[in-house]
Amino acid sequence: MAQIDLHTPISEEAIRALDVGDTVTISGIILCGRDAVLPRVLKMIDEGTAGQLGVDLRGQVIFHTAVSVAGVGPTSSNKLEIESSIEPLSAAGIKLHLGKGKLHEATVNALDRYNSVYAVIPPVTALLGARTRDARVLAFPELGMEALHIIEVDRYPAIIAAAHGRSIYD
Amino acid sequence: MTKTYDEITALVRDTLVEAGSTFRPDKIAAYKRAISTEHNDKARWVLETILENAEAAEKNRGPLCDDTGIPHLVLEVGENCAVNGRMLDAIRQGVADGLRALPGRPMGIMGNDSHRIDQSGGLDPDPAGVEPAPILLRRGKEDVLRLHILMFGGGPAIRAKTYRVFHKHNTETVLNEIVEWAKESVGQLGCTPCTLAVGIGRSHFEAAALMLEAQADGNYDVQSEMEQEITRRVNASGIGPLGLGGNTSVLATFLKVGPQRASGVRIVCVRPTCCFEPRIATVELG
Repeated sequence: MAQIDLHTPISEEAIRALDVGDTVTISGIILCGRDAVLPRVLKMIDEGTAGQLGVDLRGQVIFHTAVSVAGVGPTSSNKLEIESSIEPLSAAGIKLHLGKGKLHEATVNALDRYNSVYAVIPPVTALLGARTRDARVLAFPELGMEALHIIEVDRYPAIIAAAHGRSIYD
Repeated sequence: MTKTYDEITALVRDTLVEAGSTFRPDKIAAYKRAISTEHNDKARWVLETILENAEAAEKNRGPLCDDTGIPHLVLEVGENCAVNGRMLDAIRQGVADGLRALPGRPMGIMGNDSHRIDQSGGLDPDPAGVEPAPILLRRGKEDVLRLHILMFGGGPAIRAKTYRVFHKHNTETVLNEIVEWAKESVGQLGCTPCTLAVGIGRSHFEAAALMLEAQADGNYDVQSEMEQEITRRVNASGIGPLGLGGNTSVLATFLKVGPQRASGVRIVCVRPTCCFEPRIATVELG
């Protein structure tokens, strides 16, 4: 299968060129967060304090995963706190949400409004470990593996599952 | 021959690591069969990637999945075997050592009852803070003490269901319900292809225990007619690996039917285990 190589930060143009079903690789610095931390990040955005994170959210990827000694792997993106974060994080500049599972139609449409996409990644922790170079806590260390992490990745494999108002699950 | 505390601990530790890092030969064969018959390119890519991941995990003796799971233990006791509290302590210590060695994901929640429910007690940084579920003990057919270790991930737990079914004196009624539950849960799972683990009993406890036993005893190369029918009907839904479509939503069904009561109701437990489960390894302790 032909694949498209994406590097963070991802441009608006690169997102516009993607289509549902595209096979992509993702390289560069990406953010990791899930149920526990994403509502806290949204609160920072609401309060205008997201700049304290020290990372420009524009063009970024958020990977729905914990980060621990066991490695990384996608959790279900349709869990309440995760899926509800997709629209406001897209509004804040996140271009690609990386996880697994079917999203609701309203979320697919919200992604389209902000020219953002959703991609699914196989839960292949052993393979991803060899493609993960660096990991550190960015915020909320008290959450342990569920803290907001930043990792450097090399060619994470994924498939675009929602883009431009369409879903691969339709 | 009776093993020492330290010998049991070491065996259990190594078995837990094997459970969390290894596909059994019958599962590898099931994946290879699925790859050879899958016509959807993306689905086949997912299946190949999962198999490649299993090879890497086994080589590294590291986790198949970052959700390393909650240890569930089935202990088979043969005719002349004895189990004492010291032995159970050694098994528990082996589980803790295995979680540190794998390494398991440090996801045990600390604190009192309320803290553990709302997760406000914080996470135990020690992988061994993940306590095993209560041990299921059963009579073994062979004269050995045999321990099965299964690692249960969170995704299947979210989608599993234990509930009553009014069977209307027709097995097909129960199978229809299992298939409908499975199609809904497999579609939501994300980490497909799955293996359906099903227990049918007289109470919620018994149905869940049978579901666990079904995984301990299940074999991808040996499928009953009912198991094949459930698998075939769920695969017809076209959910596919990672939900991307294709004909491989379910690799197999492991079904255990227990004793039943004179009643119009059967209690059914269906767990759509993920693409790595059953994560299982077995050891003889004496």
